[in-house]
Amino acid sequence: MMRRFKKYFAAAMSAAMVAGLAVVPVQAEEAAGSVYYLNFKPEQAEQWEALAEAYTEETGVPVTVVTAASGTYESTLKSEMAKDEAPTMFQVNGPVGLASWKDYCYDLKDSELYSYLKSDDFALKDGDAVLGIAYVIETYGIIYNKALLADYCATEGAVIKDASEITSFETLKAVAEDIQAKKDELGVLGAFTSAGMDSSSDWRFKTHLANLPIYYEYQADGIASTDAIKGTYLDNYKAVWDLYINNATCEPSMIASMTGEDAAAEFALGEAVFYQNGTWAYGDITGNEVADEDLGMLPIYIGVEGEENQGLCTGSENYWCVNAKASEEDIQATLDFMNWVVTSDTGRASLANEMGFETPFTTFTDEYGAENPLLDAANEYIDAGKKSVAWCFTTMPSEEWKNGVGSALLEYAQGTGEWDGVVTAFVDGWASEVAATK
Amino acid sequence: MNNRSMKKYAPIFLLPTMIAFTIGFIAPFILGVYLSFCEFTTVTDAKFVGLKNYLRFWNDPSDVFLHSLWFTALFTIVTVLLINVLAFAVALALTKKIRGTNLFRTVFFMPNLIGGLVLGYVWQLLLNGILAQFQRNLKYDELYGFLGLVILMCWQQIGYMMIIYISGIQNIPGELIEAAKIDGATPRQILKNVTIPMVMPSITICTFLTLTNSFKLFDQNLALTDGDPSKMSEMLALNIYNTFYGRSGWEGVGQAKAVIFFLLVAAIALVQNYLTRSKEVQQ
Amino acid sequence: MNARKAKHGWIWTLFFSILSVLWVFPIVLVFINSFKKKAYISRAPFQIPTDKMFVGWDNYVNGIEKTNLIEAFGCSVFITVFSVAAIILFCSMTAWYICRVKTKVTTTIYYLCLFSMIVPFQMVMFTLSKIANMLKLGNPVGIIVVYLGFGAGLSVFMFVGFCKSIPLEIEEAAMIDGCNPLQTYFRVVLPIMKPTCVTVTILQAMWIWNDYLLPSLVLDQKRWKTIPMAVQYLKGGYGSVDMGAMMGTLVIAIIPIIIFYIACQKYIIEGVVAGAVKG
Repeated sequence: MMRRFKKYFAAAMSAAMVAGLAVVPVQAEEAAGSVYYLNFKPEQAEQWEALAEAYTEETGVPVTVVTAASGTYESTLKSEMAKDEAPTMFQVNGPVGLASWKDYCYDLKDSELYSYLKSDDFALKDGDAVLGIAYVIETYGIIYNKALLADYCATEGAVIKDASEITSFETLKAVAEDIQAKKDELGVLGAFTSAGMDSSSDWRFKTHLANLPIYYEYQADGIASTDAIKGTYLDNYKAVWDLYINNATCEPSMIASMTGEDAAAEFALGEAVFYQNGTWAYGDITGNEVADEDLGMLPIYIGVEGEENQGLCTGSENYWCVNAKASEEDIQATLDFMNWVVTSDTGRASLANEMGFETPFTTFTDEYGAENPLLDAANEYIDAGKKSVAWCFTTMPSEEWKNGVGSALLEYAQGTGEWDGVVTAFVDGWASEVAATK
Repeated sequence: MNNRSMKKYAPIFLLPTMIAFTIGFIAPFILGVYLSFCEFTTVTDAKFVGLKNYLRFWNDPSDVFLHSLWFTALFTIVTVLLINVLAFAVALALTKKIRGTNLFRTVFFMPNLIGGLVLGYVWQLLLNGILAQFQRNLKYDELYGFLGLVILMCWQQIGYMMIIYISGIQNIPGELIEAAKIDGATPRQILKNVTIPMVMPSITICTFLTLTNSFKLFDQNLALTDGDPSKMSEMLALNIYNTFYGRSGWEGVGQAKAVIFFLLVAAIALVQNYLTRSKEVQQ
Repeated sequence: MNARKAKHGWIWTLFFSILSVLWVFPIVLVFINSFKKKAYISRAPFQIPTDKMFVGWDNYVNGIEKTNLIEAFGCSVFITVFSVAAIILFCSMTAWYICRVKTKVTTTIYYLCLFSMIVPFQMVMFTLSKIANMLKLGNPVGIIVVYLGFGAGLSVFMFVGFCKSIPLEIEEAAMIDGCNPLQTYFRVVLPIMKPTCVTVTILQAMWIWNDYLLPSLVLDQKRWKTIPMAVQYLKGGYGSVDMGAMMGTLVIAIIPIIIFYIACQKYIIEGVVAGAVKG
């Protein structure tokens, strides 16, 4: 009986080991180096995975792409960096992000990638060292449906006759409210898409929209960052937020659970005229009801003096960094991968056409100009001599601050909180978060 | 002789479990207690700071730990009462001679086997769908989140507790109830004086299980409300998790909260144990 | 008397039938929505998918592709089966030894196991995940060690409870026949402990199969996901929630459990009752 048991036991153990081996792929890649990219942009997660696969197929070098969930990049990066298989390629969002990851950034000064960069404006430098390289230039504003807006202009008693007349917050507000009043006539559900405050969409307001009052405050005070925000333009912030939530496709009480996909779908299906988002949203919109030539973009006017010369918000919060603490083989593999992405046909086609990125690299010759009508709209403003709004949100003190502002915005919109809550989160929260992270 | 030959085999019998137990429990526990007095981002760079972590969340107005504590306590009380009363009622009914009792038991028990995360998303769809008729949703107010969690928890746990109560009721000797009937007891009196005292052990067990399940709830909370709005529906376990992984520089605070959480759970268990013991003495 | 009982029974049966339908409704709702185009799911969750809304198996295909669900399923099965097997084998051995050899060491072990039962996972989650990472346990084989370690408390406790009731004579007879303790254990003790093994299996399998937090912290997420991790990944990994893929994934996550439950219902319910009475 014992012998029989032993036989069974041995059989079971070997079965376990075989099954174990089947699940655990044998790690043979040790020597050659490998790439682990912690991607920031969920919108392009699938394209990055495809790109990684293509690279592995071509060169045999394993590339892993992991995408952090929206709003969790910092915490994911933190926990991944603590592991012994840390990301070899990650990104920081600008000076604030760089400050906490400086020790992990490999100097890219001598890299081939850096030599392709059009200008030092797109590099994050610390003294002479090049620690981060922007890989995409983005622009956001209020995307609008030209066809629907033209329909509106043709209605009786329309506030404007042409989209170009919208050059101030006042006009924008008048138009949006009139569209909202005529929504049945126009066959839309609302002037604006739902201002969803689900984590897949709330950054449009707590980060991107909040950029404008910060930008104007910096302009007024002649500074580029601060430890204590004053909130000079918060009334303007409130005015825009009111406009968004009261003239939208859904009741303000519903926005807590509305997702980014909801808003994109509403715009793409022609149910709303205005949609605050950026050039990266093209992929979500295209291929639905709205034709590419009907896509336009307006600056986000918030009612500040001289805003008729305001352009769109252009900048980058996406800087590639290479983990200096990775093994030499892995660093080399990562640099090779980055080069391949910006020089090979596959990589350039993916970045320009599939992801729709405008990149700051010289390797992207004309045939790799991004196919993105939103980028064309953005360039029109620059050509017309309008002043682009800088991305000041890279100076926001922390994710926690953004979350605080987001929650307060939501409560105000639902009617479960006061606007004072937003002011407190914005001003006091800034000071306390600066103190907490120092 | 016997004992001596046994002792020679101690490594075979004890070591595998003990090595795993050390890795999986003893070492993390001791390290955890120590780290709650430290500032750290990874285990290796810990710096002793005394009670700072414990004071930090107490004094920080942006930290909702206390709110989470009350929210969790209230949630625990409500669910323990509801689940046990309802489960007991269903168990009573299903031990009567009714057509289809087996099928009903099967159905009521089923939600238990499905994971909390999956259930959370299932109910999110249903509850948001219902609330949308009234222009509301689960994240509108903490009350909706609270009620949603209560409903979800009841739905999941009633079947489990029902099974335990059914076995308790079935173990009551038939003669006891017959004797009560002969003595002229009304059904209400039988329930109060015979059934309930006889299933007291089951009541103790179920109370304990629901108590700890509710108090330690995590998956359902994460899936159904994720703490929204503004962390107001964040229960203790989720609050600790978010402190650890959501805020840079707050790892020590998260660990300190975890120690307090552990002390609370331990206190509940000890009180429960004490009450059970004193009951057993009476019988 | 008899007539009254029957009348009552009819009402109760009707009442519980309605209740049962309500009970399974949430799951049926997910099933219905899994065939709906994603844009319509949150807008019209209670409508039956008609021509415009109906998408066939698209949501399932999407869900499986996005989350690598087939692999996640294999991973979950592997981890659950082998963790439970390890727990049963090693914990029952430890428990029997603790029961038969009373020394300071075994008593300490027993009380440590008792103690570990009241410690919530949050207390050790951070340090446990770090230790597991340092020891390179972040794979489906390594995590078995973690599960054995964290699950040992309850299992050892339950096995000890049962061991106490095994009469010593049987074991002594085996010893006299020349069995060493290991042989005695496998030939005599383990077969007697079968009912407790079933109970522990049911309880631990339910826990491990559905566990989200522990594997998400310990496993190397780049390579391996369990089913709960795959579900949660769908929520966060792609920025916006694809409700269609979500519904498909949920249905796929639920169906095997229901089949398993219907097949092993008797054991599961008995296991739960036995586990509750002893725990």
